[in-house]
Amino acid sequence: MMRPRWIKVFHDLWDNKARTLLVVFSIAVGVFSIGVIAGAYQIISNDMSISYAANQPANVELRTIGFNQDVLGSIQNTHGVLDVEARRVFNMRVRVAGTEKWTTLDMVAFEDFEANTVNLLIALQGDAIPKKREVVLERDALNHIDVQVADVLEFQLQDGSTKTMPVVGIVQDTAMGAGDFLASPYAYITMSSLQYLRQPALYNRAYVTVEAGGDDIRHIRVIGADLKDKLEKNGTRVIRTRFSETYEHPLASTVNAILGILMALGILIVFLSSSLIANTLSALLNQHLRHIGVIKLVGGRRRQVFVMYLVLIMSFAALALLMAVPLGGQGAYGLALFISSELNFNILGYRIVPTALLIQVAVGLLVPLIAGLSPVISGSRITVLRALSGDLTGDESQPQGQQQTRVSWFDWMLIRLTRMLALRGIHFPRPFIISLRNTFRRRGRLILTLFTLTMGGAIFIAVFNVRATLHDYIDSIGKYFVADVTLDFDQPYRLREIEQMVMQVDGVAGMEGWQFVSGELLDANGEVLENINIFGPPADSVLIEPLLVKGRWIRAEDVRKLALSEAAYGYFPNIKPGDHVTLKIDGRAEDWEVVGIFKFVDREGVLAYAPYEYISKMNNLANRSYSFRLITENHERSYQNAKAEELDKFFRERGFKVRVAQAGRATLDTAVESLDTLVMFLLIMAILTAVVGAMGLTGTMGMNVLERTREIGITRAIGADDRAVMQTVISEGFVIGAISYVLAIILSIPFTYLLSTIVSLAVFETPIDVVYTFMGYVIWFGLVLVLSVVASILPARNAARLTIREVLAYE
Amino acid sequence: MDNTLIELMNVSKTYSTAAGDFTALKNINLKVNAGEFVGIVGKSGAGKSTLLNMINGVDQLTSGVVIVHDGGEKISVHEMSEDGRALWRGRKMGVVYQSFQLLPMLTLIENITLPLDFSDNFKPRESKARAMQLLELVELEGHANKLPAFISGGQQQRVAIARALANDPSILVADEPTGSLDSITADHIFDVFEQLVSNQGKTIIMVTHDSSLAGRFSRNLRITDGELADEDDSAESKVDKTMRRRKK
Repeated sequence: MMRPRWIKVFHDLWDNKARTLLVVFSIAVGVFSIGVIAGAYQIISNDMSISYAANQPANVELRTIGFNQDVLGSIQNTHGVLDVEARRVFNMRVRVAGTEKWTTLDMVAFEDFEANTVNLLIALQGDAIPKKREVVLERDALNHIDVQVADVLEFQLQDGSTKTMPVVGIVQDTAMGAGDFLASPYAYITMSSLQYLRQPALYNRAYVTVEAGGDDIRHIRVIGADLKDKLEKNGTRVIRTRFSETYEHPLASTVNAILGILMALGILIVFLSSSLIANTLSALLNQHLRHIGVIKLVGGRRRQVFVMYLVLIMSFAALALLMAVPLGGQGAYGLALFISSELNFNILGYRIVPTALLIQVAVGLLVPLIAGLSPVISGSRITVLRALSGDLTGDESQPQGQQQTRVSWFDWMLIRLTRMLALRGIHFPRPFIISLRNTFRRRGRLILTLFTLTMGGAIFIAVFNVRATLHDYIDSIGKYFVADVTLDFDQPYRLREIEQMVMQVDGVAGMEGWQFVSGELLDANGEVLENINIFGPPADSVLIEPLLVKGRWIRAEDVRKLALSEAAYGYFPNIKPGDHVTLKIDGRAEDWEVVGIFKFVDREGVLAYAPYEYISKMNNLANRSYSFRLITENHERSYQNAKAEELDKFFRERGFKVRVAQAGRATLDTAVESLDTLVMFLLIMAILTAVVGAMGLTGTMGMNVLERTREIGITRAIGADDRAVMQTVISEGFVIGAISYVLAIILSIPFTYLLSTIVSLAVFETPIDVVYTFMGYVIWFGLVLVLSVVASILPARNAARLTIREVLAYE
Repeated sequence: MDNTLIELMNVSKTYSTAAGDFTALKNINLKVNAGEFVGIVGKSGAGKSTLLNMINGVDQLTSGVVIVHDGGEKISVHEMSEDGRALWRGRKMGVVYQSFQLLPMLTLIENITLPLDFSDNFKPRESKARAMQLLELVELEGHANKLPAFISGGQQQRVAIARALANDPSILVADEPTGSLDSITADHIFDVFEQLVSNQGKTIIMVTHDSSLAGRFSRNLRITDGELADEDDSAESKVDKTMRRRKK
C-alpha cells in the first residue's frame, strides 16, 4: 500500500485535469520558448562559422575593371597571399525559355571549376561543373526562377537578342553572397562561355585568402590595401574591396543580436508564465486549505505538508518538461534550419544541445519552484483552525479576525457613479455592476492576471510598431539612392542625350545622371581604415532626402567637399563639419572637407556624397554618366516594373548598351521582406506572450468562479437564470481585458522604443526614429476582447451549469 | 489515586475583532479523569467548540494552562510548537468534527491510514490491517475502497471515528459529531462512542448543543457565555458512573 500522502498528491495531479493542464502548459510555454531560442542560438553560433569557414571564404574581395592572367599571377605572388581565384561577374536578364518573366542573375565565370579553392561551391543536384555553354545555378536562384535541372534558360544580351544555355546543376555558394541581403542570385559558367554571351574574356573580381591571420581583420585589411596598391600601379582600377574573417560569418553578429532579442522575449514569457503559475498554485493552495487543515489535525507537520506540495509542483514541472523539451529541441532545429536557409549556410544536422537542455530543465524546475514557493510556504504554515475554517477563502489581504467593515474605495466610487448616472436616467445592468465589483475583489490575483495580459498586449502592439518603424526606415534609406527606375549602361552616355530619349517614354517625369567614386578612408598615419563609396548625384537632386545629423548637404560649387554617413563616427568619434578627412582615390591621398554628416545604415560601411558637378570632372566624364535615375509619374511597384521593362526595351532597340534597368521599389521590397522575416519571429513571440496572458485570464476566471460557487448558488436561488450567471462571469473577463488594453497602450510606448532600438542596432548598427501604427492597437483591441470573452466562456458555462443544490452544498 | 488525564487551569480565550474584543472562554478550570465520557452542552456561540479547540491544541489560548497526563508525564499542550502539537495530536488524541473532515480524494481505508502516515507509524501491511480492523469496529469493512462521497453522512462520521482511533489514542475529542445526522444515525454514532468508553476505556470529550443527550454522558458540563458549570449534582463519583455503564 502506498503512503496515503502520496496517493493524495497523485489525485491532486490527476483529478483536476483542467487545472493540471493549465499549470503544465504555463510552465511548458516558457520552457519551450527558452529551449527553441537557446538551442537555435547554440546551433547557429557553432555551425554558422564552421559552415562558412569550411568553404574557404575569401578574406579579400577585389572588384576591378577587367584584368588578365598576368595580373592574377602578380596577386598570387603578393606577400601574405595564400590563394587567389579570379572570376568575371556581371549581371544578365534571364528567363526560362518560352516564358515571359525576366529575372536578373549575377553571372559568375570560372576559369577552372575543378581547381576551385576559394569560395568553394557545394554540389547539390546534377552536375556542379558546367561545360562550355552550360550553366549551373546557385540554390537561391530557384526562389526567383521556376527552373529545374535540364531546363533551358534564355539570356538577354545588350542588344536585346537572346542566347540559350541548359541548366546542368544546382550548387550552394555559402561564401560569395554572405552578408549581402540584397545580392542577386548567382549563376555559374565557364570563362569559355563568355564569348557566347558577348562578354570580354577578362576577370573583374579577385578572391583572395591570406596565409596567416585569417581571423585578424586588421591584417586582412593591410593585405587588401597592398593588393589594391599593386593592382592600381599596374593600371587595374579597383572599384571596391571587401574584407572578411575566415571563421566569422559576415552576418554572425546580426543573427546573434536578433537571437538575443528573441531570447529576451523568451525570458519574458518565462517570467509571465511564472506569474501565471504563482496565481494558479496560490488558488490551488487556497482550495486545499481544508485538506491541509485535516492533515494537520491528524498529525501532519509543516515540513510534511510543504514536501507534499513541493512534490506536486515538481510533478507539474516534470510533466511540462516531458512535453516542452522534445518540442523545444525540434523547434530549435527548425528555427536554426530556417535561419540557415535564409542566410545560405548549412547546419550540421539535428542534435540535442546540452546547454539548451540544461537551461530548459533548470527553467522548468526552478521557475515553478520559485513561483510556487510563497503559496506553498504560507499554505504549509497555516494553523489548523484557520485552515479548517477556510479563512483564506476571503480576501487574503485582510488580517485574521478583522473582517472588512467598510466599503472599499472602489465600491464607494462605483456606488457614487451608478447613483449619479441613475439620477440622469442611465442604468447599468445589475450583473455588470456585480462583475465590476468582483473584478477588484482578489487584488493580488487581478494584478498578476493584468500583468501577464498587459505585457502580452504591449509586446504585440510594439512588434507592429517596430515593423512600421523598420519599413519607414527602409523607405528613408531608399531616399538616398533609390529612384523609380535605375538605368545603368555599360558605357557612358551624355546626359542630354539620355534625357531626350527618356522623355519620349510615357510616364517618365524626370531624370538625373549620377556618378560614383570609390576609395579608402585613411587614418593620420596613412593606414587604410575602411572603404568609402562616394555617390555623385546632382547637388539639387530631387531624389535624395537626407537625414542630416550635422552640417549641411552638398552644393554644386563644392570642390573636394563631401557629406559623410554616421559610420564615420566609428573611426572619428569627434568628426564635425569643417574637419578634413584623408581619402585615397586612384592611388592618391587627398584631403576632403566634411560639410555634413547624415544618418545611414552603418553596416554598409562609410558612405559619402559629393556633387555630380565635381565627381564628373574627377572621372573625366563631364555631362556624361553610366548610371541614370528616373522619376516616373506613378510610384507603385507594378508601374515601376512596367516602366523598367519598357525603358530596357526602348534603349536596347536603339542600340544603347544597357546593363540593367531596375525598379526601385523591388530593391526596397527585398530588404523589407528580409526584415519581415525578423518581424515574423517577433510576432510569434508576441503571440506566445498573448497566449500566456489568455491562459492566465482563463485560470483566473476559473478560480474566481470556483471560489464564488456559493455566491453563484445564492444568486441562482434568488432568481438569476443561466444567462445572468454567464453574463456576470463573462463581463468580469471583459472588464479585465479592457483594463489590460488601456495599460498595454501605455506600456507599448517604452516597449516600442526598446525593441526598435535593439533591432535597429542589431540590423543597421544605428538607432532609428520610432514610428507608430494604429494597426497593432486595433488588432490587439479585437484580440484581447475576443480572448477575454473566450477565456471566460468555459468558467461561465461551468458556473451556469451548477444547480442550486450543488452550489449551496459546496464543500 | 489521582486519575486525572486532562487538566485546564484558568483557561481564557479572547478574540480581537473589528467590533472589539470578545471573550469566548472565561477562566475555565476543569479536570477530566481517564475513562470519563464528558459531555459539554451549550448553545451556539457559548464557547464549547473553543473549549474543545483549547484541549486538542487546534486553537491558541489567551491565558491559562492545558495539561494532558501521559503515563506519568505532564504535557503542557500550549507550550508545544504548532508542529509539536500536530504530532502529539496525531499520536495521542483523536479528533472528530461535525463535518467529518475526510479527504475526498482518498478511499476510506486510505483516510484511516492517514494519521499513521503523518505520525511516522506507517508500515504498509500493518497499517492496512489496522485500518481494516477499525473499519470492522465501525461496521464498514465492506466499503473500504470506496470514496467518502459514495457513502452516507452517518457512515462518513463512523470513518472519521475510525480515523481518530488509528494511532490508538487514549483521548477522543468530538465537536458536535452527530450535529449533521438524523436522529437514528446519530444514535448509532453515539453507540460507537459509548462502546469505545466502556469496551476500550477511551476518554471522550464531546461538545453538543443537544441537551437531550445529557443522560448518555458519564459527566455533564454546561457552558454558558464562556463560563463552565458542572451539572452533575449527584454524590456519585463520575468514574463510578462510567464504571457502572461499562458493566452494563
